[in-house]
Amino acid sequence: MHSNVSSMAIRTRLISQQGKKMARKSSSAAQTFDALIASREIVVCVGSGGVGKTTTSAVIALHAAIQGRKTLVLTIDPARRLANSLGVEELGNDIQQIPLERFRKLGIEPKGELWAMMLDMKESFDHLVDTHAPDKKTRDEILNNRFYRHFSSSLAGTQEYAASERLYEIYNRGEFDLIVLDTPPTSHALDFLEAPNRMADAVSSRALQWMYKPGAFTGRSGLGLFSVGTSYVVKTIGRFTGAQLLNDLGVFLRTFSTLFEGFEERARGVQALLLGDKTTFVVVTAPDTLTVEEALYFHDRLGSDSLHVGGFVVNRVHPMWVDREGVSEPLEALENELKIMNEKMVEQTESKVTDFAEFAELLHENVVQLQLRATQDASSIELLREKLPAHTALATVPYFSLDIHSLEGLDQSRRALFE
Amino acid sequence: MSSAFALSCAQRGQKTLLIELNVKDKVSSLFGSEKVGTDIAKIDDNLYAVNVTPAAAMEEYALMILKVRLIYRAVFENRVVRSFLRVIPGLNELVMLGKAYYHVMETDAAGKPVWDKVVVDAPATGHGIFLLQIPSVITSLINSGLMYDEARKIEELLQDPERTAINLVTLAEELPVNETMMLRDVMRDKLKIPIGYVIANAVYRPLFDEAQREWLDKSAELEPSVEPRMRGFMEAGRFRAGRVRLQQLYVKRLEQEADLPMLRIPYYFMDRMTFAIIREMADALERQLDGDSDASNQSAG
Repeated sequence: MHSNVSSMAIRTRLISQQGKKMARKSSSAAQTFDALIASREIVVCVGSGGVGKTTTSAVIALHAAIQGRKTLVLTIDPARRLANSLGVEELGNDIQQIPLERFRKLGIEPKGELWAMMLDMKESFDHLVDTHAPDKKTRDEILNNRFYRHFSSSLAGTQEYAASERLYEIYNRGEFDLIVLDTPPTSHALDFLEAPNRMADAVSSRALQWMYKPGAFTGRSGLGLFSVGTSYVVKTIGRFTGAQLLNDLGVFLRTFSTLFEGFEERARGVQALLLGDKTTFVVVTAPDTLTVEEALYFHDRLGSDSLHVGGFVVNRVHPMWVDREGVSEPLEALENELKIMNEKMVEQTESKVTDFAEFAELLHENVVQLQLRATQDASSIELLREKLPAHTALATVPYFSLDIHSLEGLDQSRRALFE
Repeated sequence: MSSAFALSCAQRGQKTLLIELNVKDKVSSLFGSEKVGTDIAKIDDNLYAVNVTPAAAMEEYALMILKVRLIYRAVFENRVVRSFLRVIPGLNELVMLGKAYYHVMETDAAGKPVWDKVVVDAPATGHGIFLLQIPSVITSLINSGLMYDEARKIEELLQDPERTAINLVTLAEELPVNETMMLRDVMRDKLKIPIGYVIANAVYRPLFDEAQREWLDKSAELEPSVEPRMRGFMEAGRFRAGRVRLQQLYVKRLEQEADLPMLRIPYYFMDRMTFAIIREMADALERQLDGDSDASNQSAG
């Protein structure tokens, strides 16, 4: 097993190769979001929780499918309403086809196929064990281990790793023209890139190797690695955790490490795919200042030259419904116009609104409030334009009054992104 | 939300400690106080805050047990030990909870509790569950050692309805409401942690009454003949009415399905949280909490 140093070296090398390629490419003008998606085979959507990542992933996949590509969306959230709005009961852990006929109602002629699968993290990790265990006995030992049962999906980076391995596996089957991956809510783009390394590091770290040795904490055999004060160290830790825990953990990690025979090679494959030019990361964000700051932070950490982030999507942008001048006009004018409109409407039906002075005031208050938000959203987007490199596609999706989880909602959002 | 909740407790005269768990400190910018670090800092009348990091909590805890800093250095600052401690699953979470536990139990020289209320700003759903289940996972895995003793004590505190309540904060939207219902099930059925309130955050003031909303809907037919400025007012009105309608649907679902007392916090149009907004949120909480007896002294949300 190699040390951290070698896997870091791999990463650095990949990034710098990639960097040279991109530097040549990015000299052209900013590409549209549409062109970005059309030119890639893998799109990874990242961002903080609650920004509409799952929906954006679905919408990107939907668009590609309508355009004629055979597309798969791997989603994380059990978003039943999203599934319903796509016309299926719910998304399961198997790849299933989403019928697109319903979009004909909206005058759309879908030319490709849309497939979807929900990525259950526990199941993905079990799948990983299943694939990599050297034999059935080891596999069962791991799956039944109580540490594994509690912690498999929560050890640092494991979720991201399980997801990216699954992506790698499906990609290599070559069945899809485009795969869109929705990522776990907490994860940063960086976690995705680093997950393979971190897993490799975890199983090869000196501390763990020390633990793999049977009886490391109760006998003497595992203690050879350190000369001074080792038994004291072990004793002290043992006081915290109880010796039994350490032994159990040792057994678990030892078994678990057998999974990673040849692991580095595979991790390298996963990483090359994620860093390669077939893949793009798309950062999804909301327009509020804090979330945008966080999104820019991910972006910076990914490398200031933005090697892998091809696009930004800003969801829920408040439109500027009425301009500044319009807002400052006197309320009486608004009231009069409402009355004129009302007369036209009364011809058809009975109107129940009587106090138009009050109504005008409320409509005005509403616009003032929303304008506050719209102004802030606009300056966030301006900030993004300023900070992002010219070649990064920046798409915005307005905040709609209708439920996004509906056929019409999905299509509105699709048109906002791509047209 | 936790800041507003803590502030409302402090305003009611309770000496309150607000705990952030290993996050980028937001409290100090809200309260305009000094940066909140790993030492307790006063941020307002009756209100104190601390940001708990695993490393600091571990050091504090280890020192409490080992007594001598030199030994701590020798053992815990050893590189190998450090990397080893990093991979013990759940250890970070346990020491952070342990720190919260310590403050709940902390007494002054006269034996009186130091804190009337300890408010913990817990992480979002997935990680929150992971954090709160750590003590019971540990007690089910091991049955001796200091870690077991700690986990057992924390578990008892978390499950005690006299002392702990978890508040579930949500938005009135599809995914957050689903998540909240799932979170409630896990807390109630699996972790047995008592739930206080479900708090619906960012709820729009309806502004328009039913007749006005209908009028707005109908006015859409006139749209082509209406000048742009007027159309803007109409569209903005319909947007508000539409969002309010959606939110009311989800608030209703929460009321019907959650089976928990509910608090509502209004939507604020300023996107930067300021102290003024936190104070307004705290007032909104206070008005709704008035009359509710509130015995628990630890709260997470």
